[in-house]
Amino acid sequence: MSAGKKQKAATAVPAAPVAKLLRKVLIANRGEIALRIVRACQELGVRSVAVYSDADAHAPHVREADEAVNIGPAPSAESYLKGDVIIAAAKRVGADAIHPGYGFLSEREWFARAVRDAGLVWIGPPAEAIAALGSKTAARTLAVKHGVPVVPGTTEALSCADEAVTVATKFGFPVLLKAAAGGGGKGMRVVRSAGEMASAWDAARNESKKAFGDDAVYIEKYIEGPRHVEIQILADSHGTVISLGERECSVQRRHQKMIEEAPSPAVDVDLRRRMGAAAVRAAKAAGYVNAGTCEFLLDSTGEFYFLEMNTRIQVEHPVTELVTGIDLVQWQIRIASGEKIPFPSEIEPRGWAIECRLTSEDPSNGFLPSTGRVDYLHVPSGPGVRWDGGIETGSVVGLHYDPMLAKLIVWGATREEAVSRMHRALLELVVDGVETSREFHLRVMEDADFKSGAIDIQWLERRLESLLGSAPDEDALQAAAIAATLVADRDRRGGGRTSAAAAAAAAPESASAWARRGRTDGLRV
Amino acid sequence: MKYVVELSGRTFVVELDAGVARVDGGAPIAVTLDDVDGTPVRLVSIAGTLHRMTARRDGPRGRYILRMDGRRFGVDALDERTRAIRDLADAARPSSGPVPLIAPMPGLVVRVTAAVGDVVQAGQPLVAIEAMKMENELRAPAAGTVRAVHATPGSPVEKGTVLIEFS
Repeated sequence: MSAGKKQKAATAVPAAPVAKLLRKVLIANRGEIALRIVRACQELGVRSVAVYSDADAHAPHVREADEAVNIGPAPSAESYLKGDVIIAAAKRVGADAIHPGYGFLSEREWFARAVRDAGLVWIGPPAEAIAALGSKTAARTLAVKHGVPVVPGTTEALSCADEAVTVATKFGFPVLLKAAAGGGGKGMRVVRSAGEMASAWDAARNESKKAFGDDAVYIEKYIEGPRHVEIQILADSHGTVISLGERECSVQRRHQKMIEEAPSPAVDVDLRRRMGAAAVRAAKAAGYVNAGTCEFLLDSTGEFYFLEMNTRIQVEHPVTELVTGIDLVQWQIRIASGEKIPFPSEIEPRGWAIECRLTSEDPSNGFLPSTGRVDYLHVPSGPGVRWDGGIETGSVVGLHYDPMLAKLIVWGATREEAVSRMHRALLELVVDGVETSREFHLRVMEDADFKSGAIDIQWLERRLESLLGSAPDEDALQAAAIAATLVADRDRRGGGRTSAAAAAAAAPESASAWARRGRTDGLRV
Repeated sequence: MKYVVELSGRTFVVELDAGVARVDGGAPIAVTLDDVDGTPVRLVSIAGTLHRMTARRDGPRGRYILRMDGRRFGVDALDERTRAIRDLADAARPSSGPVPLIAPMPGLVVRVTAAVGDVVQAGQPLVAIEAMKMENELRAPAAGTVRAVHATPGSPVEKGTVLIEFS
């Protein structure tokens, strides 16, 4: 690995960009990924332009960028999905490239094409590669042609629920309905019997239509018990394609990744090499350039099946960055600028990285979305901890966008250390005002199965109830009862501050801070 | 002062007097509650051990969402007297019938699969609400007969809206 090059990039003076680098990048996204890209731009000395909807006028990604353009009302269909408005904004501010992030327009072939036609650089694969790989049906066809193993399924979108039943009966239930244009679990349904097909069919199509503007659905055999393991690839415009190793993303709920790690506990050097070679083969066949991810199912015998290619930066890219030392978002920009990949074709992961997706979903209430204002946020820090967030104190979490608020990522020398460090970091995290998935992640980090790495993509569905229902020990219950009593007692006597609004108003209390500190210290002794 | 605290399906009686707590008549424990200024975080000291805690009001008086030591607790904590008054008031109120289906979050109704007069089973999906681009199936809280449907596909609902009533 070219550690020297990386070092140089990280310490370069931002005011003196590499001559041939892109000059100004417009970021067609929001939230944590938009901020992530702004940071990469700043570190490379590239100017960054944020776009924002009316709901995001004060969002962190807007404030940190060099320039910002309002692109419309809060609903994504009227702002972040308005390709023509975004391209016009890029032209107006004199940007020379567009980075799409993930989600929104990132995997829309027409948008990649429109950006290029407008004379702008698209920071991602060519429209032709998106066409060849972005649609799952097209990607499967290509994989089969180039000897990459796939799960049995249809290669063309189905016409109706009845046809889906016929095909499902041929493969044998259970089967999986998937949106051709989909991702992130949207437009995806497991169907276990013919009777469930009609409603699952409607739901998958509706979700797909709303999320991606495309209701094509295909079907595949559902393999029970496999792991989700994906390969990060990096390809430059000079014909070099390399694999940066795998990520294990088996902790999923409703096909939505919750926790990712690199490397995978189930992958050894030989398997890593074979999966990496398959991913590189698929990428080369499609004429791929820039960062991409090849998703596989890995069964317990070590057989792997190509699932799909994600033609964009992934949510979980930081775990790969932490074990390879390669800044993927910076390299997306460098590759789009025409630079050559300087890394060796085989990179061994160093240490272990884990990411938890912090979402505004309430694990104690069936993971239903939670909205509101982040009244207070305390971000964990310390050794090996990284926070890629799109929220801060005062942020309003609405219903217009994805529920992911931030990613908490840790690095440790070993998996054991990484798990322990994540647990510590989650304990430090405080989010007040919006329910989050924090406690869910804590319970996973405490779980014996997870600690031993014995997980597959159904593990969470099997264990979720017992994970969340696990009662704390008697001492913890008594401590909580005492804490609740103290709060109720304070409230009864009128000194309550059980909301942040009250907190701000109730600063002057009887005792001074020093006196209170003295009390606390006294009790500690 | 005696407090009755319900959490995690358990009921504790905590006696609190001048910085000393007794749980269910047990040994006295030195306790303090201190605010961390400028934050909603509080330090709870129990027999010399510090716990970082946040508590938010959650609905009626005495109800809190309490977070401590990496755990989240839905808590009901009231002093004995206030609790007795509340229980009396609850008992005096006529029963309002079966629990209705309520929107647990704001969103857009995308599907209603129940009509007035339908006999439904507990757990049967009745209404689908879209929020954050995901469809969430809302299921019958108990077996019963649909008495009224207040949800219409395509219309937005607020958190707490009664969607379906049962008889």
